[in-house]
Amino acid sequence: MSFSQVLPTDSAPDAPLGRRKSGAAALWWLSDTGGAILFAACLALLLGTWASGPPWSETAIVLLAGIVASGILRAGAQGMAGISGQREAIGVKRALRTRLIGALLPSGLVRGRLAGEDLHVAVDDVEAYEGLMARFGPLKLAAVLSPLLIAVAVTFASWVCALIMMATLLPFGIAMAFAGLAGKAEAERQLQALSRLSGLFVDRVATLPVTLSFGAEDRVTRQIGEAAREVATRTMQVLRIAFLSSAVLEFFAALCVALVAVYCGFSLLGLLPFPAPEELTLGRAFFALALAPEFYLGMRRMAAAYHDKQQGEAACASIEAALSQAESRPRATPEHSNVPVCSLAVDHLQVAYADNRIGPFCANWQAPGLHAVAGATGVGKSSLLHALIGMTPEMSGTVALNGEAVTPASLVHLVGWAGQRPLLLPGTLADNLMLGTSPDADLGSLIEACGLAELVRLRGLDLAIDPRGSGLSGGERRRIGLVRAIASDRPILLLDEPTADLDGESAGRVIQLIAEVARDRLVIAATHDPDLVARSASVVRLA
Amino acid sequence: MIDQLLREASGRQRRATGVAILLAVLAAISGVGLLAVSGWFLTGAAMAGAAGVAAVRGFNYLTPSAAIRAFAVVRTLGRYGERLFSHRAAFFALADVRPALFARLAAARPESVFSRPPGEVATQLGSDVDALEDAVVRRVTWPGALAGGVTALVACLFAGPWSAAALAIGLTAMRLVSRTLAPRLIAVPVRRRADALTRLKSAYAEYAACAVEITAYGLVPQIVEAMAPDVEELEASRLAVVNAEALTQGLQLVLAALTVACVLALAKGGAALAAAAALAGAAGAEAWSGLTRTDLQRPRVDDAMARLEGMASLPARAPHQADTDRLATQSLTLAGEGISCVLEPGGRVLIAGASGAGKSRILGTILGLRADAPQRVLVGDIEVRDLGLETLRRLFGSAPQDAALLAGTVADNLRLARQGVTEAQMWEALEVACLADTVRNLPHGLDQWLGADGARLSGGQRKRLSLARALLSGRPWLVLDEPTEGLDSVTERRVAENLEAWLERTGTGLILVSHREGLHALAGYVFSL
Repeated sequence: MSFSQVLPTDSAPDAPLGRRKSGAAALWWLSDTGGAILFAACLALLLGTWASGPPWSETAIVLLAGIVASGILRAGAQGMAGISGQREAIGVKRALRTRLIGALLPSGLVRGRLAGEDLHVAVDDVEAYEGLMARFGPLKLAAVLSPLLIAVAVTFASWVCALIMMATLLPFGIAMAFAGLAGKAEAERQLQALSRLSGLFVDRVATLPVTLSFGAEDRVTRQIGEAAREVATRTMQVLRIAFLSSAVLEFFAALCVALVAVYCGFSLLGLLPFPAPEELTLGRAFFALALAPEFYLGMRRMAAAYHDKQQGEAACASIEAALSQAESRPRATPEHSNVPVCSLAVDHLQVAYADNRIGPFCANWQAPGLHAVAGATGVGKSSLLHALIGMTPEMSGTVALNGEAVTPASLVHLVGWAGQRPLLLPGTLADNLMLGTSPDADLGSLIEACGLAELVRLRGLDLAIDPRGSGLSGGERRRIGLVRAIASDRPILLLDEPTADLDGESAGRVIQLIAEVARDRLVIAATHDPDLVARSASVVRLA
Repeated sequence: MIDQLLREASGRQRRATGVAILLAVLAAISGVGLLAVSGWFLTGAAMAGAAGVAAVRGFNYLTPSAAIRAFAVVRTLGRYGERLFSHRAAFFALADVRPALFARLAAARPESVFSRPPGEVATQLGSDVDALEDAVVRRVTWPGALAGGVTALVACLFAGPWSAAALAIGLTAMRLVSRTLAPRLIAVPVRRRADALTRLKSAYAEYAACAVEITAYGLVPQIVEAMAPDVEELEASRLAVVNAEALTQGLQLVLAALTVACVLALAKGGAALAAAAALAGAAGAEAWSGLTRTDLQRPRVDDAMARLEGMASLPARAPHQADTDRLATQSLTLAGEGISCVLEPGGRVLIAGASGAGKSRILGTILGLRADAPQRVLVGDIEVRDLGLETLRRLFGSAPQDAALLAGTVADNLRLARQGVTEAQMWEALEVACLADTVRNLPHGLDQWLGADGARLSGGQRKRLSLARALLSGRPWLVLDEPTEGLDSVTERRVAENLEAWLERTGTGLILVSHREGLHALAGYVFSL
């Protein structure tokens, strides 16, 4: 599935806006224009009657009430435009976020991305995308339609004024095109420099300890000051052009008012230098004048939301890039799920991270049995376990199941995993223990064997768990992962330091349990616990 | 504290701010004037036209039509210039606030800084300082809105004092409603949203660390469900913000319409003046309601200010007092439970211990970056914690475990060691660290841009660059944390030999943490944790 299928987009590559979905909000913006027309009509009629007769009558009171009503209408319309735009955006954001979590969370390790980068995409970029859908999209639609609506309304009073308004559009369009082109080129030139400079702040804060220990903070502060001023200068260069486009807009908005006022004034005085094309009354003229500032209002609103567009498009590009990278990866298909596991072997397996290589590893593990992977911290024991199931960025070498080479990712469904920091989901302790298995499994004996019985006795199987740990110790958390892995009934168990964080007695129980499980399954444990190594059928020592 | 920083910084932009205010005032006056004069001109023209040729002859149309054109031009230029100058003032003021804040951070007691996650501090220097933009631009928004309001009042005065009074009351009411309503409606949802965002991010980070289990057991639906409450809270609070904005701004529109109606109802002196008053009132109220945006921004600005205040008012660390030259000739004592070790100047020690035993903690304490090691460390007979960072950093040059390279060039990183490092010295240090060949082969040599945390270099190369930097610092003691991690054994042996010769030649002492046996021969003593 491609990105554009989830977003309500049309095919235009530079404008992936929810055009169909911005309908309701855009309609509300048009109702706001309706409010402006009501205001102009009431004001014009009021002044028209006032100029020709006694100022106060019942009509006048109705018209004044109309003016107040126009305010209420505009308030409601503008408010509803914002709210309905937001509602539509919420729906899109929800779908997008679900998809991003599903695509990015499981594959972060494989793509070799920092968790922070994915997090930025799944949380911050989705937020930044909101303005494009909720505000810019509807405003863009309204910016095209509202001048037309105004011109049509003005035609009823004075077709010449409507023509004047429409006539200003042509030079306006040309001027905007020039300003826009210049702005785009300038913005692109500055963008890369800007992002490098803003990254500098993050970097210098992160490296503050080393700056302090060399006593270099004065120099670094000076450098930050220079960079901050350069960011300001460059931002101003971009803004100067953005402001130029809005000045063009302002100019034509003012010109539109001035031209209408001057034409109507001279026409009413009978001083037009050409034969009067229409019969103008004060009421008609005033109606046109009061609507003249509204003619460009839609476009001015759109221009004010331009920042939403820029941010949204940048976010959109980054979301698309992350999704296509995550979703192009081959999916783990449960193709070997019914095959009995007799052996698992790796040959010259090597893992390449962005900054270092780990391996090559060679091993041949016979099932059933307990096998240890030993070595000092940091030599790549965990990486080897991850590589076995294809959860590392780039790798070379082969993984063979029962003597046949397989894609590591396809082994995922054969594997029960107990990692360094097992997953805890909000719910009860029982829910968490059974994440890998059917919910009616009986875990009593397993809990006992693992040494978690005390915890269950004290706090109960319905103990509420939150993802940050709920006061569980590191050792308890580890054993929850172990119970989960064993209960999953998978033929291969990969255990990462199963006895770390445990006191001697608990570690002894866990080793006993692992040894029992290994009688009918293949268990591979990364460990530096000599007792666990001693019970193993084979040891791969990494150095 | 942050108030004062901001005031000083925007004080330096006084001229740009002054120009921006002037232009904002001119733009607001001509904006209201344009509509008022147009309305008056039109109505007057219609009445003169209806009254006959004589009245038309007597009607002065030159001045108003010239005024209309002039107002149109001034409004356009004024708004352009106002935007330009007010943003310039704001951006350059904030560009001064950032280094000033960083300087405070760097001058604070290190343990109070490093107890905060670096991501949080960087966010504050970035987006929280950005949020202050509105506080600076506000200085220009106010006079502009005020000028618009006053011009409208003047126009209404022509239509009689009652009309003007109606406008004054209307504008005051708009202000009062906005000031009291906006913060009340928006502060809570803004905070709820920020909290939900934080919770969502930490949940994501937590789950991302468990990717294997999620894949192996197919738990994505459960994860989505687990994150749903925070996602829903995020969207609900955002919608509450939009609702609050709609209500606040909507009330401004209703009050503005009511005000215009009252201005019209109370206008005296004929239709032309009434028309001018009505249009001026409408334009003035519109300019005035622009202040509501500031009210809506205020909770965000206040929150950012409060967070930055915490950063600006961190306690400053003790100044440098001790006599470094004398301390450099004193012995160094490490003392733990039942073990102690005394090193004369130039002595070398290996700090050994299992992972988690606190090796980085004792190194951090020696460097003065933290103070939580349970062991005692003395220079001469003074505890390092009493000497403080200012003194300790003149005694110890370090290469930390994470290498900690700056986003910059090779030379930028080496120059950090001390002021006035020459290129020849850089090459010499790189030779000792066995990195000279690598740097020579980089396309730009010493001036090669390395990217964030030296991303262009491998883990082992980063370590060696960090080592070269520590050598260049020229301190009496060298503190190395796993300097050969990620190196092959051949390179490791060369580094060890070079270091041995360098330490011998310079008489520098060594405090080493390394689990690689290749380096253990460098140290004369072992201090076990």
